[in-house]
Amino acid sequence: MTSPSPASAIEITGLTKDFSLNLRGIKLRAVDNLTLRVPEGEVFGLLGPNGSGKSTTIKIILGLLEPTAGECKVFGVPSGRVDSRLNVGYLPEAPYFYRYLSGTELVRFYGRICGVPRKQLDERVREVIDWVGLSGAAHRRVGTYSKGMLQRIGLAQALVHDPRLIILDEPTAGVDPVGSAEISELIRKLKTQGKTVLITSHLLAQIEDICDRVAILDKGKLIVEGSVDELVGLHDRQSLIVDSLPAAELEELRRWLASRGHALNAVERPRTRLDQLFLSKVSRPQKGGDAQ
Amino acid sequence: MSIASSSSRTVPFSLGRLGIVAGNTFLEAVRQKLFNFLLLLAVALVASAQLFREFNFGSSELKFISDFGFGAMVFFGSTLTIAATAQLFFSEIENRTALTILAKPIWRTEFIFGKFLGVFAVVGVFCALTTVLLLALLYHRETALMTANPEAFENGRIIHYGDLVLMGVLQWLKFGVLAAITLLIASFSNTNLYTVVMGFFVLVICHLQYLARDAYGAVASLPLRLLVQALGYVFPNFQVFNLADQIGIGQGIGAEVFLRVAGYALIYIAVIGGLAVYSFRNREI
Repeated sequence: MTSPSPASAIEITGLTKDFSLNLRGIKLRAVDNLTLRVPEGEVFGLLGPNGSGKSTTIKIILGLLEPTAGECKVFGVPSGRVDSRLNVGYLPEAPYFYRYLSGTELVRFYGRICGVPRKQLDERVREVIDWVGLSGAAHRRVGTYSKGMLQRIGLAQALVHDPRLIILDEPTAGVDPVGSAEISELIRKLKTQGKTVLITSHLLAQIEDICDRVAILDKGKLIVEGSVDELVGLHDRQSLIVDSLPAAELEELRRWLASRGHALNAVERPRTRLDQLFLSKVSRPQKGGDAQ
Repeated sequence: MSIASSSSRTVPFSLGRLGIVAGNTFLEAVRQKLFNFLLLLAVALVASAQLFREFNFGSSELKFISDFGFGAMVFFGSTLTIAATAQLFFSEIENRTALTILAKPIWRTEFIFGKFLGVFAVVGVFCALTTVLLLALLYHRETALMTANPEAFENGRIIHYGDLVLMGVLQWLKFGVLAAITLLIASFSNTNLYTVVMGFFVLVICHLQYLARDAYGAVASLPLRLLVQALGYVFPNFQVFNLADQIGIGQGIGAEVFLRVAGYALIYIAVIGGLAVYSFRNREI
């Protein structure tokens, strides 16, 4: 007996979006017959080169653009309807918020727009600001925040109404590796809370680390879609990591494997990743925000 | 269950959300240097009216101060209304804060009318401050003239201060119509500059359209006459707000006139605001 598949947070069917380029009717097809399903509770990566249709797709999901053809539903509600956004939090690429508001005022403003009850608002604002690690800078004006802090306050405003789906458009663009790792950590925490996360990023290593599934778009078309393990794993191979072997013993091992019909395809030294080395060497900022 | 979804699946139109957008727009506007600059200029100009002393003592001088003060209010108020409306709308688009707001469960109608009310409140503060200053100046000067020349004031004060307040209110409503027009242009325009230029262009049309109506109203050609009449309805006639000759000294604004002009403004605000909402609903952000 198979377990029932999880409900869809996002369901896109035959989605096409054309933009008029001029008055003569020449059009640019930004999204071309896209069909995609994002199951609830997953971290889903939407990948593709610049101009591949990722941001257009996100804007359609958020009801900011009307599709030319096809349909898009968020938790079963057509994305053009206002109530489809009740359970959606959104962090745009390179966010710019009201510079004259403090972090607390900004999150409070968005919380009120989302209809967070007044009794819960102050508590909720404090909670999400603390959650993204900005409690020490909550009363500073947003105009004084660094890029990493802007991304984190952006995440706080996206989460203030406790949405079930969070859409992050390039959340680590322009952020240093430390800030980037912290955002990855926050996304992992969201997953443990059962949230669905749709993320776009050009940092493929980060996507590989945090996503359950990915889809790759190119020129508006879906090229490939599947779980990260399915797509990048080499299922007919295994790697064994052992202490350094002398040449003679390595040769003996090769012969032993050959006698059983297996080939030793590669002998490599495992390496740490550059981002992991960086993070282990540099100091992380104190909770409350990095210096401007 | 999430906080937002616990209430209802439908999202009705909300005056509360509209007020939140309006409040934020107001806050942004008063923190802009342009607002402070124009307010200071207008205050300085109104205050400088009392420096013109080459006029005869008596009602002529007071009439001059009144006209000069309202002239400053109209000039700087129109500039503030067009510039602030365009700037506050396009700052949301260009800085992409509109994306984060409209990605929330909010109607575009609430967003547009919130923007309008925010600008309307800013212009209201501007009109209130300049009107209060003008009243204070007139009162001060009239008191001085009453002491210097009591026979000219044997029947008491000649300035109708209540009517001057009504005049300030009517100017505010006129700026409301102008803000709605600018917002309509901004709703389909791609740039701030285009919106500002078109806003001033329409302002001139609205001030001068009565000339075209007078000139072409009696022409024999029926299509031309109908066209001019139609344009007269499309563009509000800002001359109806110009009651400066009826107010202040000796005469007053009748309640009926005030209500008729206020109604005229509110109808135009509602219709043009509705068109701005319709246009913005179809705009791709």
